[in-house]
Amino acid sequence: MYRASGRIMQQLRHRMPALEGRLAVSLAAPALKTFTQQQQQQQQRHEQVRWTATSTVSSKQVTTPPPRHDWNRAVSEAERIVGYPTSFLSLRWLLSDEIANVALHLRKLVGSAHPLMKTAKHLLYNGKNTMQAWGLIVLLVSKAAGHAPSVPDVEQDKSAGVLHSQRALAEVTEMIRISHLVHNSVVNLQSSTEAGQDAATYDDMSFGNKIGLLTGDYLLGHSSAELANLRNQEVVELISSAVRDFSESEFIGERDEQNNPLPYKPGTFQRPSLSVAVDFNEHDVMTPMPIAQVLGNPEQEWECRNILNAGSLLGKSCQASLKLAGQSEELQRHAYRFGKHLALAWQACLDAEPFQCPTLPLDTTFSLVSAPVLFHLEHDPSLYVQLEKGKQSVDNIDYDAIHKAVLAGPALAKTKELQRKHTAAALAVLQHFPATDARQALENIILAMQDL
Amino acid sequence: MACLSTSGRVVCGSRRQQTHKLLCQLFGRQSGYSTAVSSSGSTSGSGSQLQWNVNSQQYQLVRRFHGLSFNPGKDYLDLLQNSHSCSHNLKYSQCSKTNLRQHSSVHTQQPAGPVREIQIDPYIILDDELKYFYDDVRDLLQSGTSQPELDTIASYYFDGQGKALRPMVTMLMAKAINYHLNNESHQLVHKQRQVALFSEMVHSASLVHDDVIDQSDFRRGKPSVNALWNHKKVTMAGDYILSIASIMIARLRSDDVTIVLSQILTDLVQGEFMQLGSRETENERFAHYLTKTYRKTASLIANALKATAVIAQADDNVAEVAFQYGRNIGLAFQLVDDMLDFVSSTEQMGKPTAADLKLGLATAPVLFACEKYPELNPMVMRRFTEPGDVERAFELVHKSHGLEQTRFLAKKHCNEAIRLAQELTESPYQKGLQVVADLVINRLK
Repeated sequence: MYRASGRIMQQLRHRMPALEGRLAVSLAAPALKTFTQQQQQQQQRHEQVRWTATSTVSSKQVTTPPPRHDWNRAVSEAERIVGYPTSFLSLRWLLSDEIANVALHLRKLVGSAHPLMKTAKHLLYNGKNTMQAWGLIVLLVSKAAGHAPSVPDVEQDKSAGVLHSQRALAEVTEMIRISHLVHNSVVNLQSSTEAGQDAATYDDMSFGNKIGLLTGDYLLGHSSAELANLRNQEVVELISSAVRDFSESEFIGERDEQNNPLPYKPGTFQRPSLSVAVDFNEHDVMTPMPIAQVLGNPEQEWECRNILNAGSLLGKSCQASLKLAGQSEELQRHAYRFGKHLALAWQACLDAEPFQCPTLPLDTTFSLVSAPVLFHLEHDPSLYVQLEKGKQSVDNIDYDAIHKAVLAGPALAKTKELQRKHTAAALAVLQHFPATDARQALENIILAMQDL
Repeated sequence: MACLSTSGRVVCGSRRQQTHKLLCQLFGRQSGYSTAVSSSGSTSGSGSQLQWNVNSQQYQLVRRFHGLSFNPGKDYLDLLQNSHSCSHNLKYSQCSKTNLRQHSSVHTQQPAGPVREIQIDPYIILDDELKYFYDDVRDLLQSGTSQPELDTIASYYFDGQGKALRPMVTMLMAKAINYHLNNESHQLVHKQRQVALFSEMVHSASLVHDDVIDQSDFRRGKPSVNALWNHKKVTMAGDYILSIASIMIARLRSDDVTIVLSQILTDLVQGEFMQLGSRETENERFAHYLTKTYRKTASLIANALKATAVIAQADDNVAEVAFQYGRNIGLAFQLVDDMLDFVSSTEQMGKPTAADLKLGLATAPVLFACEKYPELNPMVMRRFTEPGDVERAFELVHKSHGLEQTRFLAKKHCNEAIRLAQELTESPYQKGLQVVADLVINRLK
């Protein structure tokens, strides 16, 4: 078991330098006593770090921001502000029997083509683009907002300025996001599909599905236990509804055999001219996103899809975190909006990325409902003929041709515009929070993202 | 899947009788134990109607697994007194007229006194709570999404064809506790019913995910979800059911209930993980099997029952009784399920027999059989993967006393459940809890 988790940890190291010491110790010395001692030392070290961080941050970071916003620096400074890095990779989580079990089973899948391996790789090697440190954002928002004076002292993590419950919530946020990614790696093995008929890979695929499904369920189950322990039913309700939104997002629009989304045929819907943005009913979390209202409007359809897919969890987690801190409804709503706009800006940034270079890099694909494609379809509906080839499998699509077509049109500029719009919205909402090092860190992250 | 077995509707009479005979041989250790199968023409709607006549006790039970299609609008006491003579008259007259006469005279004499178990059919006394049960689940699932396909997949197993065992036991315990605490407010029962909804929803979500894992094509006598829909969508639909169930429970605004119920989810997954590996030694194997069974099946019932006690603000002792009752019933249920996997016919279970062996799982009958036939051990270790393993193991289990021993163990848990139920104040529901223990041990599918 230790060897298995050790493998994961090795891969994690470059992502989490601060955790490395603790991991190494826990592996080398199973004695619980040494372990806790070490943890305490670590804690103290963190406190020192954080202490110096606040004192220097206000003088150094705020007054002289880096000339060009550097992503890694923005994130690592932000991590220092909230104590130690995002908690999803906490020891408790990694050293559980189930995860060690999963690691063992995953090894059997190495070399197979199961998408679970790709997901695992993405999670472990966090490139700048896949790294969406959502737990970190939740913690920063929590710290930026502070908490009501009524919250008892024992609940507070003095060193980091966030509540223990908020830290747990940040962990839940990461677990739910990963469980969705992992569940999304399940392969459709229906007998009518290509994957279901390939006898050579069937066993691997079916085994991978099993592991993926159980791992996702494990994360969901533990999220729900962690949530329950927060003893705040409004929070449970809100976060559960974010899980609902994730599932719903996988049903919107046309899909190929592997459930990859395809855009609607242009002209399927009368284009609605909505001036008001569509969002959840803030008085009833059970009400689903009224996405039918916006189908046919590329920008709003994109927005709805991605709120369900990303913005919902980040927004609702930020909101829930302020609930835990006893903050006002109004500030909670701002937190939701901040999370939502940040996630959307992030998504727009990711969507634009494959179109940044003049030719599509080898083996690279992009989502067919990404903002550039949707904008281009609006500009030139004839592109749909190309997309139709993907009805059975998106692999049949000539991505290079679409890439070329999109670059020739105004879609990329519009996507950049979309990103700026949500970046600006996120920065504007942030002004409702008091000026603190945490707020500054959030601004730095947003600005760094814009420069990516 | 080995997890909670579920039923298809039984139509085939002769087949049922055959299996019945088999089970009678198996169960019929008691002397004077005789059975009669109703040859009633009305097979639809009311499930299997069996009449059991044990010795001189005249212990009689009408077994109805599909209790939901019942005449509405009757107060339970009224039903208690008249159910045999009115709604079951027809069937009874075909079974045994003498019995009917004896019983109806007994019934009319005791409207106020202690209610005898003979009269209790849990599904009838819970008619108010269970009648629109599946409609309510479907409405709930529909209200949470704007995507028709998601709604369709998520509601697929809420078709009213299941036994509804979990909601039934949950409501029985809820009402027995309310009676015990002398608090029968309507609001309270409504909240407890949400727990029953939760139990059934979580169960279905686990079935939906199990279908993707096991790739079986049939469940409850109809195509399973993974045969009909994209597996990715099916996975998401399972998550969707869970999320809606969690929202519903969060709305009860009880921290403790949410905590008790969240334990179910972690147990379920841990149980699944335990099922993945079978590297235990022979000694540990049975303990491993029992822990797995608790986590996969019994925890759901035990914690749901405990939650109803927590809502009713019962003290810890009552909550513990509820929990332990549920745990014992759950274990017995799964033990019987594992045994039926060896004796029932495919049509009866709505899924193929020896399904567990085919999945590589060694359940109680096999583990017991190992004692007599050590040659089973290597097969267990290699998860019955070699050709002929499944058939050989099946045969050896039948040759050994594995099935009887499994039933004996189940019976022990049922007796413990009955003992626990008796700690609650006597009421029709408390009696119902004891009847359930009997239903569980004697069920045929």
